[in-house]
Amino acid sequence: MSDSSRRLHGLEFFLRSQQRPDTKASGIHARILDDVTHVNLRGNSNDAEFNRGVEKVLGQALPVEPNTVSIRESHIYWLGPDEWLVVSKAADSPGLATRLENTLRNIHSSVNDISGGQVTFTLSGENVERVLNKACTIDFDAGTFKPGHCAQSGLAKASVLIGCIEQSRTFELIVRRSFADYVARWLRHAARHHGIEFR
Amino acid sequence: MQLDRLKTGGRIDRTRPLNFRFNGKTYSGFAGDTLASALLANDVALVSRSFKLHRPRGIVGAGAEEPNAIVQVGTGASTLPNMRATQVELYDGLEARSTKGWPNLRFDLAALNDRFSKVFGAGFYYKTFMRPKAFWKYYERFIRASAGFGIAPTEPDPDSYEHRNAHCDVLVAGGGPAGLMAALVAARSGARVIIADEQNEFGGSLLSGSESIDGKPAAEWVNAVIAELRDRGNVTVLTRSTVFGYYDHNFIAVAEHCSDHKGERAADGVRERLWRVRADQVVLAQGAFERPLVFCNNDRPGVMTASAVSTYINRYGVCPGKRAVVFTNNDSAYRTALDLNNAGIPVVVVDCRKSGAGSLGATADAAGITVLRGHIVSDVIGRHRVSGIRIARWDGDTQSTFDSTIRIDCDLLAMSGGWSPAVHLHSQSGGTNAWDETRHCFVPAESAQANVSAGACNGHWSLKACLQDGIDAGAEVAARCGLRTMPVELPVTTEGTDNPMQALWRVPASKDPDRCPKQFIDYQNDTSVADVRLAAREGYRNVEHVKRYTALGFGTDQGKLGNINGMAILAECLGKTIPEVGTTTFRPVYTPVTFGLGAGENVGELFDPIRKTAIHERHQAAGSPFEVVGQWHRPWYFPQGGEDLHAAVARECLATRNSVGMMDASTLGKIDARGPDVVEFLERIYTHDVGRMKVGRCAYGIMLREDGMLMDDGVMARLGEHQYYLTTTTGGAANVLNWLETWLQTEWPELKVYLTSLTDSFSTIAVAGPKSRDVLQNAGCSIDLGKENFSFMSVQQAVLAGFPVQLFRVSFSGELAFEINIDSAYASQMWQILMESGKEFDITPYGTETMHVLRAEKGFVIVGQDTDGSVTPVDLGMNWLLSKNKDFLGKRSLSRQDCVRDDRKQLVGLLSVDGSTVVPEGTQLIEDPGAPKPVPMCGHVTSSYFSATLGHPIAMALVSAGHRRKDETIYAYLADNLVVPVTIVSPVFYDAKGARQNV
Repeated sequence: MSDSSRRLHGLEFFLRSQQRPDTKASGIHARILDDVTHVNLRGNSNDAEFNRGVEKVLGQALPVEPNTVSIRESHIYWLGPDEWLVVSKAADSPGLATRLENTLRNIHSSVNDISGGQVTFTLSGENVERVLNKACTIDFDAGTFKPGHCAQSGLAKASVLIGCIEQSRTFELIVRRSFADYVARWLRHAARHHGIEFR
Repeated sequence: MQLDRLKTGGRIDRTRPLNFRFNGKTYSGFAGDTLASALLANDVALVSRSFKLHRPRGIVGAGAEEPNAIVQVGTGASTLPNMRATQVELYDGLEARSTKGWPNLRFDLAALNDRFSKVFGAGFYYKTFMRPKAFWKYYERFIRASAGFGIAPTEPDPDSYEHRNAHCDVLVAGGGPAGLMAALVAARSGARVIIADEQNEFGGSLLSGSESIDGKPAAEWVNAVIAELRDRGNVTVLTRSTVFGYYDHNFIAVAEHCSDHKGERAADGVRERLWRVRADQVVLAQGAFERPLVFCNNDRPGVMTASAVSTYINRYGVCPGKRAVVFTNNDSAYRTALDLNNAGIPVVVVDCRKSGAGSLGATADAAGITVLRGHIVSDVIGRHRVSGIRIARWDGDTQSTFDSTIRIDCDLLAMSGGWSPAVHLHSQSGGTNAWDETRHCFVPAESAQANVSAGACNGHWSLKACLQDGIDAGAEVAARCGLRTMPVELPVTTEGTDNPMQALWRVPASKDPDRCPKQFIDYQNDTSVADVRLAAREGYRNVEHVKRYTALGFGTDQGKLGNINGMAILAECLGKTIPEVGTTTFRPVYTPVTFGLGAGENVGELFDPIRKTAIHERHQAAGSPFEVVGQWHRPWYFPQGGEDLHAAVARECLATRNSVGMMDASTLGKIDARGPDVVEFLERIYTHDVGRMKVGRCAYGIMLREDGMLMDDGVMARLGEHQYYLTTTTGGAANVLNWLETWLQTEWPELKVYLTSLTDSFSTIAVAGPKSRDVLQNAGCSIDLGKENFSFMSVQQAVLAGFPVQLFRVSFSGELAFEINIDSAYASQMWQILMESGKEFDITPYGTETMHVLRAEKGFVIVGQDTDGSVTPVDLGMNWLLSKNKDFLGKRSLSRQDCVRDDRKQLVGLLSVDGSTVVPEGTQLIEDPGAPKPVPMCGHVTSSYFSATLGHPIAMALVSAGHRRKDETIYAYLADNLVVPVTIVSPVFYDAKGARQNV
């Protein structure tokens, strides 16, 4: 923590406390992403002006199908009929909330940069669904939970947002910051028989 | 020596002998044995004592229905009570013991109960232990000690358990002929299938018999089906997995026993796995239970169900006797007679039916087996083991008694009273059952959920019918899933003719049923025919009441053997039909499950989430103990050099009052509220005039529930014309957001307001004390922090030490104070920067305890500590917060009769008269310590601390009519009858004018 201007996701301590990385062939790869911008967006998707404004800034349309995630430059998660989560790793993403807010200034909407409050994991590996299903009730079958599908659900005793973002069964797992340490510990424990490596 | 082990046969592995201990004695068995089959192989007939009468008992069944052989398995921390020996797979070194019998199983002192069994009739418990009332505490000790079937371990469980959620199109419960067939048909249609069977191998009843399918031994057919199911990618095959619960929406619970067959502890991996299955369709194929016959002394060790005897012979290569009698009212037991005959055991069949013979009867005749038709077993001879029976000729009159009986010597009595479909899961799912007059059993009728029953649990007894029923069920559920099925050929089996069963619920004896030796219905609960008759005589009519009164159907077996016989006998007593009497309710669990299974991996540090603030690790490094608030872990206090709580808190309080302190307030709930109607919305929620706040101003606000009681409080700030920032209590954050969204979405959808939770996104550091301004200035602040530019109760955007922050001039300590809201990604750094910037003022981090003391000195309440959901703002003296210019939630309730009572409990301050006693929180307050008991209470202490700043204790309390009782002395009633006088004062103990915070 010497570089005081670096953004911390809060799991630095957890990562340092990780015992020797266990890299079995069938293991699970968990990545904790640095510097991801999360913008919570609320508005009326029936309002053409709102949609135009959002699309102008994001370069992609908001998903209106429940429990889907639009995967392009940004990952836009449908959270509710009038609420979305924009997840972006683009270099200019720290200014995303400001750009959206400026564009939507005269439209009833709400833009909040909540990057500091969210932790993003990507999970991949042969047994990922199996591990998640230990404490998540979502049906992760490849024919059911396809790329572009997402769900707000519980993982063990934490609320999580899970999206399937790649054909190769890679999942994005988004957790509120205060629960991230618990979720990381849970994952480490639940996946112990498969071998899990956090990066 | 395995005296009763047959020379050949069985599905055991004779090349793998295993040693085990039962009641301290070492025995041997083979891999593939259950504890029960191994005990029988070793000629152990006596395995337990009955629950109430302590009668000697032996193994009766071969599966989940076993009522007697309930044993304690394993030792120490991993021991398991309530285990059916018939379901415990043998492993080397297995340690098991009976849970009844003192000083030992053979000589049990409590067997005296049997001598006085008249005293211990139905309702004994209710009749005896009710009076005298004061004696219950003595009775209870005795009852607790004699109840139960084992002991729970006292050490922590060393094994791990896990849960697994699964989804499928078709779940098949039971892997006998019908279940396998259904699974095969469904799997071939492409359905996602889960098939679960409680046993170690598939086959169900086929494992116990000697039937052939397609001209080959049935086992080969089973293996072929399982191989195909396993090869298909769409089937999950689970052995040792009991479907134990059927809940709403086809939610099914399955207990998979992963390691219990290998040893006492799971060497690696998990011991048990709980499958939580959501199934589109369910096929119920759990088979049927053979019913005992109800005759005198039918509980003697050596009396078993006929199918169990066949199972021991065919599956385990064990014959549990040397001379056998088969007593039956139907054809199926003839298979057992033939099995015994084939094993070289002399056998006599006693058949209550006078005439007729089905194919099996004819085969028995042809094999030269003696069949006594038109006879019954009237009594059993032998105490610790059957040594013979008495039989009598019977003409079919159920009320008859016998003068003359004939003795037959034998050590094994195999009985069959017909079959009861295992309708447990069907019933748990809410389905109804119908009485079948020809098959004499309840069969599934209407389904309440998406399921189909198949095979014996649907009332089909023949193998052919079970296979066909399985095919039909598989096709049906696949079709319901919208899948196409291929025609499946019915396997070839040999079918014979059946001589119909004759219903015989109570076997006539030498005396009438109330005076003859005991005829047991429910072995585990010692419920006899006489008990049910007594219950009926005493006025019990409803089967559920009779169950509670006689204990019929309770226990680990839940009446799997005895229930139908009991209901039929009750029906006879009441002059009703069996369907009129009906069944008791079937509830989960089907067989007992462990606590470990329920807990899964939610143990230890994963028992409950620990929510951590962004600064958590710094607090940990500083040695702070944590206080759990909701799921948050908040620093409690920061001890230095071996300080205890009180010393640390006194130091932290004084440092803050005299110089500067700092705390992590990140756990406060934070909500962004905006939209054109936000003022109108908040006016309805909060009690003060929200709209009058100017942009940039902060205000303390409270919200009430509709009943007028205080719900939550917090500071809010107006950030823009149409934007507010709300804070909530730590514990109330989620509730408040739900509350606000509920009103917006369901009651006031016309209001254009959007809410967003920012609790985790922003961290809050409170810097409090006369030197707080200097600390911020030292850190480098972009704005003028002076009073003129930045007054008390205002908010400004600023850059602090290079980081963008929102600065609030609010105070929960009564001192000059700043709350710094910063992106959580930088909060840890900011904490460190402020610590360094405050060094010259000896900045002191403080925790929740000091925060509590500082706010109590100022008389600030904590919702949930000083309030409890029954306190109005008027009770708290907050009338100044209640706007007269508008309506708000809860306002009308404040004028309810009860809310304006003048003796309501009201918030006051308390000072101990002695100036030194810190009265414990929760202490009750009384007016007159001399009053006769029970002494009326007039209030209670809500907060109490020693104030280092003031040098004496302070307390807050809710006291009846407290507001108008200033300076009165009342009494705190402590433990050990200690009474401490306290004086009622204002709850504001320090700086009542607020001069210190407004500088």
